[in-house]
Amino acid sequence: MYQYDAIDQQLVDERVAQFRDQTRRYLNDELSEQDFLPLRLQNGLYVQRYAPMLRIAIPYGMLSSDQLRTLADISRRYDRAYGHFSTRQNLQLNWPKLEDVPDILAELAKVQMHAVQTSGNCIRNTTTDQYAGVIADEVVDPRPYCELIRQWSTFHPEFAFLPRKFKIAVNATESADRAATQVHDIGLHIKKNEAGDIGFKVIVGGGLGRTPMVGVTINEFLPREDLLTYLDAIIRVYNQQGRRDNKYKARIKILVKALGIEEFRKRVDAEWVHLRGKESTVPMSEFERLQGFFTEPAYQALENNPASLTSKLAESAGFARWYERNTFEHKKPGYRIVTLTLKKAGQAPGDATSDQMEKAATLADQFSFGELRVSHEQNLVLSDVRQDQLVDVWEAAKEAGFATPTLGLLTDMICCPGGDFCALANAKSIPIAEQIQQTFDNLDYLYDLGNIDLNISGCMNACGHHHVGNIGILGVDKKGQEFYQVSIGGASGHDASIGKILGPSFAQEEISDVIQKLMDVYVSNRTDEERFIDTYRRVGITPFKEAAYAKAN
Amino acid sequence: MPKLIKNGEIVDNLYTWQQDSESAATETSIVPMSKWLAEQNTIGPVAGIWIDAGEGVESLTDIDLTQFAVIGINFPAFVDGRGFSYARLLRERLGYKGEIRALGSFIADQLGYLLRVGFNGFQFGEEVDLEKALALHKSFSIAYQGDVNEPRPMFLRR
Repeated sequence: MYQYDAIDQQLVDERVAQFRDQTRRYLNDELSEQDFLPLRLQNGLYVQRYAPMLRIAIPYGMLSSDQLRTLADISRRYDRAYGHFSTRQNLQLNWPKLEDVPDILAELAKVQMHAVQTSGNCIRNTTTDQYAGVIADEVVDPRPYCELIRQWSTFHPEFAFLPRKFKIAVNATESADRAATQVHDIGLHIKKNEAGDIGFKVIVGGGLGRTPMVGVTINEFLPREDLLTYLDAIIRVYNQQGRRDNKYKARIKILVKALGIEEFRKRVDAEWVHLRGKESTVPMSEFERLQGFFTEPAYQALENNPASLTSKLAESAGFARWYERNTFEHKKPGYRIVTLTLKKAGQAPGDATSDQMEKAATLADQFSFGELRVSHEQNLVLSDVRQDQLVDVWEAAKEAGFATPTLGLLTDMICCPGGDFCALANAKSIPIAEQIQQTFDNLDYLYDLGNIDLNISGCMNACGHHHVGNIGILGVDKKGQEFYQVSIGGASGHDASIGKILGPSFAQEEISDVIQKLMDVYVSNRTDEERFIDTYRRVGITPFKEAAYAKAN
Repeated sequence: MPKLIKNGEIVDNLYTWQQDSESAATETSIVPMSKWLAEQNTIGPVAGIWIDAGEGVESLTDIDLTQFAVIGINFPAFVDGRGFSYARLLRERLGYKGEIRALGSFIADQLGYLLRVGFNGFQFGEEVDLEKALALHKSFSIAYQGDVNEPRPMFLRR
């Protein structure tokens, strides 16, 4: 993975010193609350319902075991010994003290980490596929490009005070979009053209929040050397022309929609004419330098399906289930990608205790070259596990609470921290996740239902991506009472779509019943091969709606 | 005499930021860009013009900017970042070499970024201690991106 040199290190060190000074001035009343606010946000620090919340960047999801150990240590020393992995490959600490944050940032800087631009109206952490670099069918490894974007976006002098937040995600394979790129402000799909040159399909104007939209293509093939000048052009148009009068209409999606993609493209091109080919054009030497950080680890020459694996698969249904659900095909024979799920019943989705973080770090050292990934679906990934060591990993993962074999199933929910922590939330979301986990605890049934994305957000800001869940649950406030609106038909992959609201919202205790009714409609309508989303797309919303609101006899 | 920070020093402010379009312009006025554009044939010599957020710099494309000692850019709120693009375009696209002065509600903690996009004059509100602001008058010693002062990104200098 990327390693800082003296330049990268000096920059984060200077940032820590700057924030230490800003915090000191704030605490001395030399910096007003209002002036401090965007400064702390650009260092990942929110002030939440009960305490500050610090969001630490895990750039494009890559984490070394040492970094994860530092996160465990920080969460133990400065917080309540746990953290929350978010959908955008960040780690959130819910209980740090504001005056400790400069020290926390200094600890992070020692292991080449930071909280730069994880919040605020600026370019946020760039995200990508958690399987980047280890799957067979990607065009190229997207991580060098993510690092290029990370550096370009870090302290970009022109774009630190945009109309609203700005999120970029990168995908490099046709077979799946695990980074929800089409609901980002900019989604980049790495492509090769007929000449074999590498470039990007550029999608702009996706986003969730109050007005969810799937992005539209602005450029079918952008040569890779032009990436940064093109991004500069898009964001320069947005910075000057995006709405600033209403925060709910300030994302780039609103500008793109208002102008139409043709006009927006025209304006971007008019800007780009001046930038293309200039100094920010990326030379081959820089691509090569960045690629040099993402070389393959020392894989051994192994065969697929070693006897120790096949015999265990035959004798242990539990192992077979975990293998089928929580592991994924690796590009190298004899290896497998393992997801350590953070979806154990009784634990908030995406949460990990400090002990669990340390255990995951140890597993990475023992079985996966000392590296981990954080996924959009709020799980951890060991990307390079030998197939003949999968049984050992499974045993250890079970013990640490990482082996709930439900990856991609109904109970592998995305869930925001909700009203238990977040000041913005209208309703709690964690108890909903808990209720669903408790109700749908029969693994055979969950397997029979197959792949279903269920996403929960505690408010319209949609941190839990409810719009793009096959089933989405949104907390709403009705006269001071917490209610939940259910939508169906959303998707976040290459077939991205925004879900449709079923109808009036439900009380908290009704949610599991409603989900059950939706599942019943699916099961009675599906054909053999159909996933939930396929059945929905074929039969439409009506039967689901009728079932959900049918009066009991 | 009111003061401002210019080129890293606290100096006398020789010009008047004329915020309305009604008053008569003098050789020391910084007048609204819209007023200057409308009256350019009759207005006579002025110290410079100022651009409000939302106006952009396109209408200056064919204007001889060397006649202005200063071009001001107003920040209606410090989180309104349009002025960052305006300054950069004035320097990089329109080739303006004179003073670009930040006006309005910008804050001292933004100086690092403001310097990088081409501002070199900072007219703070009266409540701001300019000595303290001067302590923040610097950028990080390293930058990944090119900017007005160093157009080459770090990858061309690494």
